[in-house]
Amino acid sequence: MTAPALLLVASALFSIGLFGVLARRHAIAVLLSIELMFNAVNLAVVTVAWSRGWLAGVVLALFGIAITVAEIAVGLALVLLASRMPGRVLLDELSELDG
Amino acid sequence: MRDAAFWSLSVLLLGAAAAVVTARSLIRAAFALAGSLLATAALYLLLTSPLLAAVQVLLYTGGVLTLVVFALVVAGANEPAARFRKPLPAGMLALAVFAALASAIGTLPAGPGVGGLESGRDVGLALFGDYLVPFELLSVLLLAAVFGALLLARRERAS
Amino acid sequence: MLPLALTVLAGPLGALALIGLVPPLRRSGRPAAFVAIAGTAVALMAAAALAAPFVTAAPPAPAAFELVWMPLGTVPAIPFGLLVDGLSASMAVLVALVALLVQVYSLAYMAGEPPSSLGRYFAYHALFAFAMLGLVLAHNLLQTYVCWELVGLGSYLLIGFWFDRPAAGRAALKAFWTTRLGDVGFALGIVVLWSAAGTFTFAELFAKASSGAIAGGALTLGMLGIYAGAMGKSAQAPLHVWLPDAMEGPTPVSALIHAATMVAAGVYLMIRVAPLLALTPAVAEAVFVIGVATALLGASMALVERDLKRILAHSTVSQLGFMMAAVGSGGAAAAYFHLLTHGFFKALLFLAAGSLIHAFHTNDIFSMGRAVRAMPVTSACFAAGALALAGILPASGFFSKDEVLAAVLAGGHPVGFAILVGTAALTAFYIGRALLIALVGAGSGASREAHDPPPAMTAPMLVLAVPALAFGIAGPTVSRLVAAPEEHAPVVVPILGTLAALGGAAAAWVAFRRGALEIRARGPLAPLIRALERRWYLDAPFEWGYRVLHAGVFRGIAWLDRYVVDGAVNALAWGTWGAAGRLRAIQNGRVQDALYAVAAGLVLLAWLAWGA
Repeated sequence: MTAPALLLVASALFSIGLFGVLARRHAIAVLLSIELMFNAVNLAVVTVAWSRGWLAGVVLALFGIAITVAEIAVGLALVLLASRMPGRVLLDELSELDG
Repeated sequence: MRDAAFWSLSVLLLGAAAAVVTARSLIRAAFALAGSLLATAALYLLLTSPLLAAVQVLLYTGGVLTLVVFALVVAGANEPAARFRKPLPAGMLALAVFAALASAIGTLPAGPGVGGLESGRDVGLALFGDYLVPFELLSVLLLAAVFGALLLARRERAS
Repeated sequence: MLPLALTVLAGPLGALALIGLVPPLRRSGRPAAFVAIAGTAVALMAAAALAAPFVTAAPPAPAAFELVWMPLGTVPAIPFGLLVDGLSASMAVLVALVALLVQVYSLAYMAGEPPSSLGRYFAYHALFAFAMLGLVLAHNLLQTYVCWELVGLGSYLLIGFWFDRPAAGRAALKAFWTTRLGDVGFALGIVVLWSAAGTFTFAELFAKASSGAIAGGALTLGMLGIYAGAMGKSAQAPLHVWLPDAMEGPTPVSALIHAATMVAAGVYLMIRVAPLLALTPAVAEAVFVIGVATALLGASMALVERDLKRILAHSTVSQLGFMMAAVGSGGAAAAYFHLLTHGFFKALLFLAAGSLIHAFHTNDIFSMGRAVRAMPVTSACFAAGALALAGILPASGFFSKDEVLAAVLAGGHPVGFAILVGTAALTAFYIGRALLIALVGAGSGASREAHDPPPAMTAPMLVLAVPALAFGIAGPTVSRLVAAPEEHAPVVVPILGTLAALGGAAAAWVAFRRGALEIRARGPLAPLIRALERRWYLDAPFEWGYRVLHAGVFRGIAWLDRYVVDGAVNALAWGTWGAAGRLRAIQNGRVQDALYAVAAGLVLLAWLAWGA
């Protein structure tokens, strides 16, 4: 268990999450994939902290988790809003940001 | 021993992650996410931070996942016929990003980590000491998120 | 003289410009007509003034006015100029006079047309007059060719004037295509002559040719080309097929274009280049032979025709053959004399025919009848014209026809002479037939409602009747105009000529009394008569050729244009559109696609930073 190996795992996790974000159609599936990416980042931070003995890394990871919680709450609220209209959970439909 | 745990946990983690992004049923995806989060928590244990592992389980797995499940129940987990939108370019891009990240990893020392992150007391002291301001700001953020979520969800019901 | 010559051209051109460029004038109808008539009247007066000196005993020398248009350095320049001599000035008078009379006649004949249509009609007349006068006064071959084409355009526009009639459109197209065929030869001939002699100008060409500076082969080839053009315009066989169909146009148009002026242009051209023709006996021979054949051909087809205008059309073909035969025998003066008399009496005949058609509402002579009683003026004019055409004393046609016959005989063509004498007899027969049936015969009784037309129509007829009957005395003057020595025909010629004419007329009378003038395809002569009725089946090859060209060449070119030329442009547009459509997807407002860009940017940056 070396730092590089852990980071490799974190990178893989990040990439898998990225794939989900880019390729899934349902909004909640995308949110779940975002969680994976967050998780990967946290893992990377803790890995570096562990490899150098920096406690500040743990603090940072804690902060990250808290922020993730806030983000998912708001995100789910939005998805719930969108789900009131039929079919709007599909990200294909939400394209008002064009131009 | 530790290496074996690490490798098996990694496999579990990545497998669960794969399940999340490819599951046809969203409930299944949510539980797969729970699995990957738990695997991460176990990894945190290996990384000498039980505090973080506990927080991960409580907040992430417990809180976030519960929220997601509730949202799925309310919003309906009907999955459309097609799961993916342009999976091939997405996969290629994900691979490219992985390659980019992997290539940067070589800069870190390859030996076993120093560790020593067990002390929850030290973390608490740091939180309320050096990192007090960010801590307080975080609580403000959480408050804002709560209100925001309530408002967003509520307005619809009122109309 | 130059100002006069320019005035001749400026009259119709000004009228054309006014009518063409001022739409309200054109749409108003009658005012436009008066503008056109005024322009032509100006041209006539100027032409008369121009011609007057040449008619006197001491004519001035021919004058040429040149304006070098494109000095091209080493290459000989293209001059633009007017040639004023006896020939061109007198021809200009003929053209302007007949044009004026026809336009006045049209005022009444076309009175039923809506005003904008009438304006269009007179605009075309002005165009035609300008082009024809330009052709007559041209001093070089290139200018002649330009005006030649313009005349063809005018003819096309006027034949197809009633464009909502499919037959008219087809006839106009046929006329255009057939004459175009000849014009190709004309253009080639001009080019050959130019490359051999280095000049387009008539005077220079004559000088170089007579001094032997032009190679014999080139001269022959060039003359053949020029004759080809004349063949088309002057309806020499086999390019005569367009003339009978051209009768779809209004009758005044037929009188102007297909009797007196445009069809005469070919003969005029040949007379103009007579000095060159004298140096190419082979071509002259061809001109003669084809001329005789055409004369006989035309007369034969007129024998069985029922449509009055078509009879006159076939007659024109035949008479043009006479003229060309004279030209080919070296009798340019005789040919020109006949051209002038024919212009008068044929125009007269057409105008009278127009009155008859107008009154009886039909072209069929068998539906007319007893016109003498109902329409005395018209009948008298028609009779005058018929007399001239048949060539009976004292009408002008007698003199000119005899001169033609004399020229042919003097040119050493006894066989041709005999054929032409026979054709003269046929001529008297067919015109006598037409006259008797339409004017004297019982007909259909429609004569009860028929009456003489208004003065606008009778006046021009009467004016034309005068030279039709009396121009015979102008023979010597004409010879002087063409600068040819006065010849005296051997006595046998007028005797034979008169015998032929009287014989033909008598035969017509006899047949009329026996009621046998309605020539039907019966008995032993049936195949022959059927062939005559079908115009010797000569229309078919042209139709077939046109269809082949249409199906093959034209379709091919159209396909090329639509799919290759347009295709290239369309492909460009389509490609642009497609690319734009694809590029548009970048900005489609979908978050995931934006994230693609972010992720790709990340990879790019990583690659740049770490060179992985």
